[in-house]
Amino acid sequence: MSSSAIFVLDLEGEVLICRNYKGDVDMAEIDRFLPLLMQHEEEGLLCPVLSHGKVHFMWIKHSNLYLVSTTNKNSNASLVYSFLYKIVEVFTEYFKELEEESIQDNFVVVYELLDELMDFGFPQTTDSKILQEYITQEGAKLEVGKSKVPTTVTNAVSWRSEGIKYKKNEVFIDVIESINVLVNANGSVMSSDIVGSIKLKTMLSGMPELRLGLNDRVLFGLTGRDKGKTVVMEDVKFHQCVRLSRFDSDRTISFIPPDGESELMSYRINTHVKPLIWIESVIEKFSHSRVEIMVKAKGQFKKQSVANNVEVRVPVPSDADSPKFKTSTGQAKYVPEKNMVVWTIKSFPGGKEFLMRAHFGLPSVENNELEGKPPVTVKFEIPYFTVSGIQVRYMKIIEKSGYQALPWVRYITQSGDYQLRTNV
Amino acid sequence: MPYLGSEDTVRELRRHLSNPNVQSDPLRYRSSILKVIRAMSQGVDVAGLFSEMVKACATVDIVQKKLVYVFLCSYATLNPELSLLVINTLRKDCQDPNPMVRSLALRNMVNLRLPSLAEYVEQPLSAGLRDRAACVRRVAVLGWAKLHNLQPASEIDAAVVNELYGLLRDPDPVVMVNCLRALEEILKEEGGMAINKPITHHLLNRLGQLDVWGQCEVLRVLQRYRPQSESELFDILSLLDASLVSPHPPVMAATLSLFLVLCPDLPAVSFAALERVRGPLLAACGSASRETRFTALCHIQLLLRSLPGLMGAHYKRFFCGYAEPAYIKQRKMQVLVELVNDDNVAMLLDELRGYCTDVNADTAQAAISAIGRIGRSYSDQCLQILTGLLGLQQEHITSAVVQTMRDLVWVCPQCSDTVCSALEGCEETLQDSQGRQALLWLLAVHGERVRSAPYTLEGFIDGVRGEASPGVKMELLTTTMRLFVCRPAETQDMLGRLLHHCIEEETDMCVRDQALLYYRLLRCGMEETRRVLGGRRSEPSLGVLIGRPAEPISQWASSFNTLEPLKQGAGETETTGRASPQHVTFDLDSDLSDTLNSGAEELDYVCLEERIRCPAVPHCSPQSLQAAMQLVNIQTLAFTAAHASPWRVYLYTHAQQAARSALILGQLLYAGEDEDEDEAGLSEGPSPRGREEEVKVTLKQRPRDEKALQGFLSILTAVLHTLPFNTH
Repeated sequence: MSSSAIFVLDLEGEVLICRNYKGDVDMAEIDRFLPLLMQHEEEGLLCPVLSHGKVHFMWIKHSNLYLVSTTNKNSNASLVYSFLYKIVEVFTEYFKELEEESIQDNFVVVYELLDELMDFGFPQTTDSKILQEYITQEGAKLEVGKSKVPTTVTNAVSWRSEGIKYKKNEVFIDVIESINVLVNANGSVMSSDIVGSIKLKTMLSGMPELRLGLNDRVLFGLTGRDKGKTVVMEDVKFHQCVRLSRFDSDRTISFIPPDGESELMSYRINTHVKPLIWIESVIEKFSHSRVEIMVKAKGQFKKQSVANNVEVRVPVPSDADSPKFKTSTGQAKYVPEKNMVVWTIKSFPGGKEFLMRAHFGLPSVENNELEGKPPVTVKFEIPYFTVSGIQVRYMKIIEKSGYQALPWVRYITQSGDYQLRTNV
Repeated sequence: MPYLGSEDTVRELRRHLSNPNVQSDPLRYRSSILKVIRAMSQGVDVAGLFSEMVKACATVDIVQKKLVYVFLCSYATLNPELSLLVINTLRKDCQDPNPMVRSLALRNMVNLRLPSLAEYVEQPLSAGLRDRAACVRRVAVLGWAKLHNLQPASEIDAAVVNELYGLLRDPDPVVMVNCLRALEEILKEEGGMAINKPITHHLLNRLGQLDVWGQCEVLRVLQRYRPQSESELFDILSLLDASLVSPHPPVMAATLSLFLVLCPDLPAVSFAALERVRGPLLAACGSASRETRFTALCHIQLLLRSLPGLMGAHYKRFFCGYAEPAYIKQRKMQVLVELVNDDNVAMLLDELRGYCTDVNADTAQAAISAIGRIGRSYSDQCLQILTGLLGLQQEHITSAVVQTMRDLVWVCPQCSDTVCSALEGCEETLQDSQGRQALLWLLAVHGERVRSAPYTLEGFIDGVRGEASPGVKMELLTTTMRLFVCRPAETQDMLGRLLHHCIEEETDMCVRDQALLYYRLLRCGMEETRRVLGGRRSEPSLGVLIGRPAEPISQWASSFNTLEPLKQGAGETETTGRASPQHVTFDLDSDLSDTLNSGAEELDYVCLEERIRCPAVPHCSPQSLQAAMQLVNIQTLAFTAAHASPWRVYLYTHAQQAARSALILGQLLYAGEDEDEDEAGLSEGPSPRGREEEVKVTLKQRPRDEKALQGFLSILTAVLHTLPFNTH
């Protein structure tokens, strides 16, 4: 990987902040970036790498910013993108929202961070937990002569500093699974997978040693054991604090947690999932007069569970007018700027079935423009339930001082990229 | 803040900075410096404040120091003399008890990028290498690389290089990785740092401690290592197995790259590695970041070149989501085309049909041409979809469909009936020149079977005055001529009008010359015209290239995990979908050059004709011929089937000659026994006895470069002689 310089641009292509790391690419080259982007977009050849002569621009877009890395070498693309996303991640942890305003308001910290993140085109310290030890927004307040040396720079455990104290020692464990589903217009499931993560909020004193036990239903793809009735996880990622050697030998997850919020592990299960909320939609379009929409939503999960804040988003033609709705439960609302009807159901018990009918008028002069066929999308959240069946069996917390600590566990299943294609 | 011109701003800021009252109040002083940096970020030229800022760096406030350094590093090259004043402060800071201050000073000392300061910098850098704080060592190590970069001519002291090698064993992982990076930079001329067995094993053992960036760096450097024995190689490979399925795509890609480089002679191991990364690669294709998804797709395309069956069962993972950007959709379609088989073809085509009506016209066109590609093996299903799409009467869709049909008919002549009946009436929806050219081409080749062809042409000819594209006009000329040959009564009148217009009124030279050429051709008589224009209507033998043979991994291993795959094939669907129908003109050219020397000088650029004795060529399989050619960087374009007569191969190469590259096109022709008589009449070859063992080579190049041609010919001859003589 070699990145000659990093730029943060606004949507007009104006440089908000930049850092020249290597000095082998002219900094003025960045002025070509936006025109190049526009030109490629027009020709339909837009792609995450743009080149002008010998200079390559690798870019990502985040809210109203472009983050661009320039290079004149045939460098490793995936690494550069990972680094740009790392920058986004670090900045977001510092400023909550990463956008034009936050860059301008915090440019001192941004300069400091850019200095630490990379040197001479090579990523250096990119862990935001460590960075937060010595680059703080309080830096704006004056503390002359009292700059402390971050302990983590020399610590054996780089993600946790010593001497943390809490009155009440607690750990909150969130098991969150989001479901991605793509259903074809004829009702067959084209693809489905589960993306899960275990998140921790640690409020523990000292240097505690934690051990997490999961139920046996979950086997890890890494270990390559038998695949009987269990769910095989692919693509398991652990936080760097987890001792992988222990995990490989006896599959216990043991670690010294970082303080505060962190993601302990994430996984993906590529399996056929029954879509938890099944949608049948009939959209009938009578040209020049009206559109009639009938949507049936069915909860295909256990009766004891309840899905909260269910939102069914049904696309309608852009020139539709005078909406009329009838729902068996919940509320339907027309959102003209997004060309859709949003049907909201506050609580949706498993096994139940609900119906929504909508009627729209169409103008007699037809819109000639070709419109895409946007899918119906669904958003929901089901607490106390995981699709994969993963469960936390125990969480042991051991610390020298021997305090008692309480683990709290919460399960949530939510919708990820949940799309059902329509026939219109 | 009221708007101030840049000079006013600078004056204002200078007044603030030099005000003794401000200087004595640390808070106000710092806020003034903040204003300078803010102005600098906004693009105001604040270089004039350099001397004031130099004074400001003598402070104990670390944030202020950082800000001042940012300023100084941006403007130091403009003020080399004044920068000398900074160096003292910086050197003093290098002695500071606080390691953060030391590392900051050391880093910025080199970041000033002033070669004149090198002598002052070396001593603190050497001391930095031995600092007890890791963060200072990290900076010092890279500092040497920067210093070398600044003065590439001057040698870095061997003692320093040794010390850097020693620091590879530093307990801090980042220091170690920075050492690698620095040594690679400093020893660039010698081909990078030395990678011997102890270093390799040391790096591999510490791989686990490194972050993602470090791991990738180590894996990349290790590509230069050559294991001394097979058992050592396998030890290394099994050590790397865990990173091969790493959930971090960059690490996974770097490991695979290392695998491929380490065992070029063990294809089984390489293929096993490819199988192993399938899961992680598919996971990267579903990553939340579109750029990672895009990169993964591009690399999957590379892998498929060698292992076409790798992703067969997972074709559903390449279905496009509604909101994905066009560049991802297009790549996914390219992959889908590769994955088609008997079981999934119905599902796949159904999915692709959905994309044809995408709001983005480019995506729609890519989808249509993808269907066309699949049509080469599953023509009935695809033609049904394509014909259905014509019914939508959408301009860009019709254009893409007609172009796709043209490409399809060229390779699959059995489709021509369906295509001909579908063509009726679609000229009304066609607007763009490429679509119309494709329609004209189809009418030229299959005009006798399209009932309304003369009427369509008449419409075109009536509008020729308003036609802007010379390409369409040239295509129109050819089409009218060819239609005249098969349907003279209906076309004679309009052909006359068209030729008259093009010769008398046309301003474009190419169009006019082509019209003149056809006019002269007609004067040679109908028989001659028919012979010249009756070119081939299809090239079914191109089919060989569609089910192209799996390439050896070495073809692409070196470009794996770089920028290259992202750039390659970006326009692949574009070229197949939109290329103007060169095939017909190409055919005409080569035939015409024989008969009509008077009119066709500029079309004729045959450069070299040679006969090579090579009995093996026509009998060897296309795959082995292609593989042999690729070894010497000759690309084959198309073959006729083995044992066909006459047997041809089209090929091309890029010759690199003194910094400019030249394209050479070539044709190998083996006439076979039965055409001996004809051939002998045209050129004086050697004795007829040896004829059947000779291959005629025709080379074309423009501008002509005699040396390059001769060089190419000798290489080609050498390759042809190495071919195995196998008679199936």
